[in-house]
Amino acid sequence: MVNTLAPEAAEGAVRGRPSAGPAVGGRTRARRRQAVVAWLFLAPALLFFAVFLILPLGFALLLSMSRWTGFALGDIQPVGPANYTGLFASGSTFLVPVLTNTLLFALGSVALALAGSVVVATCIDHLHLQGLWRTLYFLPIVTTVVAVGNVWKYMYEPGGLVNGVLNALGAGSVAFLEDPDTALPSLVVVQAWASVGTAILVLTAGLKSIPGSYYEAAALDGAGPVTVFRRITLPLLRPSLMLVCVTQFLTGLQSFGLIIVMTRGGPGGATDVAALEMYRQAFAHGDWGAASAAAFVLFAVVLAVTLAQVWLFGRKGEDA
Amino acid sequence: MRRRRFPWLSYLVVVTGAVLTVVPFLDMVMTSFKGPGEAGTLPYRFLPEAFDLSNYRAALHQLNLPVLFRNSVVATAVITGSVLLTSSLAGYALAKLRFRGRDFVFRFVLSTMMFPPFLFFVPRFLILAHWPLAGGNDLLGRGGSGLTASILALAVPFLVNGFGIFLMRQFMVSIPDEVLEAARVDGAGEFAVWWRIVMPQTAPVLVTLGLLTFVDAWNEYIWALLVSTADPDVMTLPVGIQLLQDHVDPARTTPVVMAGLVLSVLPVLVLFLLLQKYYVRGVMLSGLK
Repeated sequence: MVNTLAPEAAEGAVRGRPSAGPAVGGRTRARRRQAVVAWLFLAPALLFFAVFLILPLGFALLLSMSRWTGFALGDIQPVGPANYTGLFASGSTFLVPVLTNTLLFALGSVALALAGSVVVATCIDHLHLQGLWRTLYFLPIVTTVVAVGNVWKYMYEPGGLVNGVLNALGAGSVAFLEDPDTALPSLVVVQAWASVGTAILVLTAGLKSIPGSYYEAAALDGAGPVTVFRRITLPLLRPSLMLVCVTQFLTGLQSFGLIIVMTRGGPGGATDVAALEMYRQAFAHGDWGAASAAAFVLFAVVLAVTLAQVWLFGRKGEDA
Repeated sequence: MRRRRFPWLSYLVVVTGAVLTVVPFLDMVMTSFKGPGEAGTLPYRFLPEAFDLSNYRAALHQLNLPVLFRNSVVATAVITGSVLLTSSLAGYALAKLRFRGRDFVFRFVLSTMMFPPFLFFVPRFLILAHWPLAGGNDLLGRGGSGLTASILALAVPFLVNGFGIFLMRQFMVSIPDEVLEAARVDGAGEFAVWWRIVMPQTAPVLVTLGLLTFVDAWNEYIWALLVSTADPDVMTLPVGIQLLQDHVDPARTTPVVMAGLVLSVLPVLVLFLLLQKYYVRGVMLSGLK
């Protein structure tokens, strides 16, 4: 590979450097050596991507159109699109509730984290000790999902902290994770709690980049704080908001570590999400074909949601 | 202009939010000291009756901590070392070396960041399980358990990171070419230029990337769960603690689990607090976690 590429690189070097003059022979050799070194430096990464990115993608695509019990590779039987149609057949739980749960979980946690982070970031912007506050909000981000999930699971118990506070306020206890109606919203709160720190950090950086003169001009015009927020802060914060939205949606649509730790999809499938379903199909039921098909469908959903957001944020920009 | 008076309302909002963020951690620590029958009973009490260390002893006793720690440390160290090495090598090639196809490779590296990890769980596991000539497999990958039963399996899917290459490349682009040219004129080979000149200048970014990678690797759960279901000998701390609940006296499950969690969360929290400047910059640079 290196040998076939090196002469081309040398050609490019000569073309790009017509002024090289008498030293061109030495230059060519140097350029050729640089190309060889470049491919050597890239080799570990490219080799990894070939074996653990491209090969798996092809393998997953093949599996998604096959029936396979998971033993000898020779037993893979092609079945065409059956795994995909199976996901959407009547009686399949994949569309409802699994995919709807996935979307609700992502939408709920993004909305909550976004609202919380916008409020906190705009407030932090006025305060002393900004570094301290950001550090505190950031603690959940560096904590393993096993700790986050278990602590919240315990806090949601009848004798846990949340019900303790509710009882102290005179309210009755809530069976947060045992009741199918409250289980998903309860998980949404935890996901938002765990991801709000990153959002605050990104938004604080965005706020810092808004020139102070805009606010001074608005104050001279007698604009109130609400007007300032709506007409100056929000529009100028749009790039940061989009970054937060897109990345948090990506995480929300794919994440199932928290759900494995806290509910394992229960009660009665109330918190079953697509990535968890995929995981279970493969490693609990040994249905590698259905699992791979589910993975590609979820990938399509993730892609569609991401593109929709990019389009929405771009369009709003034209309106303003 | 924007600070006409003391911002009471802002303080109220920020402090309330900070309390909501920190309280679960405090609850975890407090619960880890509670005695048998003290956690999960009504009415709820925040503070333990006595600071009882026996939960930590029980967690240490049950957890086989040396093995879990070893696996977590080895996997995290291998991942972090490999990501730093491969990212700075590839980042240097993409930033400072001229060759045909450079733009294409750079775009390819960027595109690797867009594939969601769940797409790869199944095929990567199968590839490791059918790895030729490992774990009793023959040349065609049949007969044995492949690489899945080795401690390496924990690290393999995370050894190279498209984001890491991107981060290093973006930083190295700003190193002046003249410095590198001068070294080359002095007879330094490309490897020496990379190691003696480029690497020292990128030290702060290396710390950032190393820290981001370390935290993610230490906290990783799903893949480790998968691998250690196949072989308990390669279990990591998060997986071991999650399993702990099935093996402890039910009257004190929660406090013992919390004690185990405190032990596993502590190293990474301390590291984050010490080096948070670098961590925060990494998140700012990427907008990602």
